Amino acid sequence: MKAGLTERLQPAREQPVHSLRQCIHAITSRNSSALPGVAMLLIVLACNAFLQPDFFSADSLSSNLQNAAPVILVCMAQAVIVLLGELDLSVGSGISLINCVLAAVPSLTGWGTAATCVAALVIAVAAGVCNGLLVGYLRQSALIATFATGAIWFGGALLLMPQPGGAVPEILGEWFAMRVGVFPLAAIPVLAACALWALLQRHRFGRRLIATGSSADAVFKSGVDTRLVKLLGYVLAWLFVFGAALCISAQTSSGDARLGLPYTLNSVAAVVIGGISLAGGRGSMLGAICGALVLVLIGNVVYFAGIPSNYQEVFKGAVILLALGCTFIGARKPA
Amino acid sequence: MPLLTATGITRRYGGVVALDNVSIEVNAGEVLGLLGANGSGKSTLSSILAGDNRPDAGTLSLDAHRLPPGEPRAARAAGIAIAHQHPGLAPDLPVWENVFLGAEMCRRGRFLNRTAARRRAAQLLSSLRAGWNLDLPAGQLSVADQQLVEIAKALALEPRVLIFDEPTAALAAAEVDSLMRVIRALAARGTAIVFISHRMAEIQALCDRVMVLCNGRHAGELLVQGKLDEARVLAWMGGAADVDMHGESAAARRHSQHSPRMSAVITASAPNDISPIALSARGLRAGARLRGVEFELRQGEILGVAGLQGHGQEELLDALAGYRKLDDGEITLDGAPIAVRSPRQMIDAGVCLVPNDRHRQGLWLDHSVEFNLAQVAANFQREPWRLRSASIRQLVDFAVKRLRIKTSDARQPVRALSGGNQQKVVIGRWLDRRIKVLLLSDPTKGVDVIARKEIYEAIGALTEAGAAAIVYASDTDELLAVCDRLIVMYEGRVVAQLEGPDMNEARVTSALFGRSAA
Repeated sequence: MKAGLTERLQPAREQPVHSLRQCIHAITSRNSSALPGVAMLLIVLACNAFLQPDFFSADSLSSNLQNAAPVILVCMAQAVIVLLGELDLSVGSGISLINCVLAAVPSLTGWGTAATCVAALVIAVAAGVCNGLLVGYLRQSALIATFATGAIWFGGALLLMPQPGGAVPEILGEWFAMRVGVFPLAAIPVLAACALWALLQRHRFGRRLIATGSSADAVFKSGVDTRLVKLLGYVLAWLFVFGAALCISAQTSSGDARLGLPYTLNSVAAVVIGGISLAGGRGSMLGAICGALVLVLIGNVVYFAGIPSNYQEVFKGAVILLALGCTFIGARKPA
Repeated sequence: MPLLTATGITRRYGGVVALDNVSIEVNAGEVLGLLGANGSGKSTLSSILAGDNRPDAGTLSLDAHRLPPGEPRAARAAGIAIAHQHPGLAPDLPVWENVFLGAEMCRRGRFLNRTAARRRAAQLLSSLRAGWNLDLPAGQLSVADQQLVEIAKALALEPRVLIFDEPTAALAAAEVDSLMRVIRALAARGTAIVFISHRMAEIQALCDRVMVLCNGRHAGELLVQGKLDEARVLAWMGGAADVDMHGESAAARRHSQHSPRMSAVITASAPNDISPIALSARGLRAGARLRGVEFELRQGEILGVAGLQGHGQEELLDALAGYRKLDDGEITLDGAPIAVRSPRQMIDAGVCLVPNDRHRQGLWLDHSVEFNLAQVAANFQREPWRLRSASIRQLVDFAVKRLRIKTSDARQPVRALSGGNQQKVVIGRWLDRRIKVLLLSDPTKGVDVIARKEIYEAIGALTEAGAAAIVYASDTDELLAVCDRLIVMYEGRVVAQLEGPDMNEARVTSALFGRSAA
């Protein structure tokens, strides 16, 4: 009886985790490629906290999170694609397009908030399917294909909204700025995306996605339709892009066809700072998130350090190069 | 009634007919050996059976049900699995996930059942070799271990028909033994097995029936009852005419145990103790794999390095070539000590490596024979911006003639050459300089018996000219046949130095397992 009870209390495990040290080891070894990104984040965080005395106040954290949420989401989207062994240069103009839809559709059609959001979601998924078909089924180079579709999304955004303006449903902006106790609602899209990714890493599709990025040929020969994996990977990424566009639109509460453009290359930079291999298959989402936060906080540091505005971009570029250098050194592990 | 039937299979690549109206039948519970020289169409046939490759004509059926050709998923669903010659693994995924790649063990909702999958992977892998780290990314495994994972991946499907395309080419003897045990057990349970290998001893020990392909045609078929009729098989393989100029194949010779013939052919002027020492190594240490290696190499000598997989042979060659940093130890070249800093420095000193994995490390497969042969010379030219086409053509002609590289045109891509000729191209690119020591890591892996002999003749030609060679090969018989002397490595040390009458299978085998001190 007693034996039966203890058996039930201790479910059989292949490798029981005995101590905190082993636990830490397990986490770090699984995310070892993200370590330089994490280190970089800690450094930038320290600088920021030093320069901005009220950095850890609830207000400041909340506003920083509002700034960071879309960047994190778009970097997660790019990370999905890069882990898949591809690239997506259309995420930025995709954000613009979705933003313009959110800002223009209510006044054009008189649709309510929910209908407008659904329309935007449909467009995001359609864009993901389009890129996925081009790269997965038609075997086009992701670099060129998504560069071209990106131009089309940007064109679409300009047609919808030749001049910046319009009005995003106000309720989005209100929710986004809200705080329940110390918990900012802006964190919800990011947490949802993280939860979805964590779940997928225990799911067949998530692992096939990584495997396809690691060696598409091997996975195909193992009887997996890698074209479908790529298509679904793009769709997943564009769900994250949709989340990012929603956050940005809630923040700006108006439409601008040029709003999203800088996000494309920022997302690629963040992914690389986060230690994800551009060859695909290697890296962790944690790294991509760290990379995104580094980019956001660098902007803060530059601002609070009082660097003249004309030098800010130069300084930012130099810091990114430094971050890449750290990643590179970190990647050269002894065999 | 055969389980798997393929009839009238024809496959063309451009103008080349790889398979010409070949039919094959495999019965449940039978091990069918598929034999043929390199380029005879074995791999093409097996990939067509597995659905990886679409034939231009012909039909496939399993249990009298037609299978759609060229559909890997349909073939797998029907119960046909293949362990490829070149493992198809996702290098960044851990070993256990690779075993179930494409056939994941799932709970409801297709969430992975990690516990069950790890347990089953451990079970399958340990039937082939003990001591696996299931969490290591597959890309960090040695070539042999990747091959074993590829085999476990095929086993995991519990197929009705299981095709092994040269599974043993990269494996050491102990692993081959466990694989043969596993195959026999599968056949006893009714699995139909197609087994491809160049090693006659394995075919003889394992197969119930053999089928021979020659130049894409069905050349012959016979039952193996007790003893395999090697002469007939070899005659079929070579298309009877050009099997061997001596009327006897290298493989047949190797298996006749005493085989002075080939070494006599190669080392006409066998070196003796009077020849000066070309290279000596003392106390070489590097990481966990090299723990104090000592040996001497004389000019004009072919020194064999024997050892089970992972006992430091490959690392030794890498270290001598300057690819692996030494922690400690002393190397002298022609009597003068040399501090190994880089591959470039060792190449300048005349130490050249023919690497283990010719596809990835040795060749640009899509470039021409000429390009591949000229690369080294071009790299080391004094004025690299002025490639002299005349001198390159000279080098290419010289290499093609000297090593007898069979190519219709030096502008042909290397990919189109047979494995043996590809390997000769890897050796040939060093011919523009004075080679002092040629290092060869498993030069005959995945190469047929005839090309094997030619490769060793090419090495012999170089040693006659005064160079020395160090050869590591996973096949001990081969080393016994071609080497003047043999060192045996065990756990990163040289445990035996054998020559003359001591150089026999029994002494080598006991040393392989660390049982004998020289």
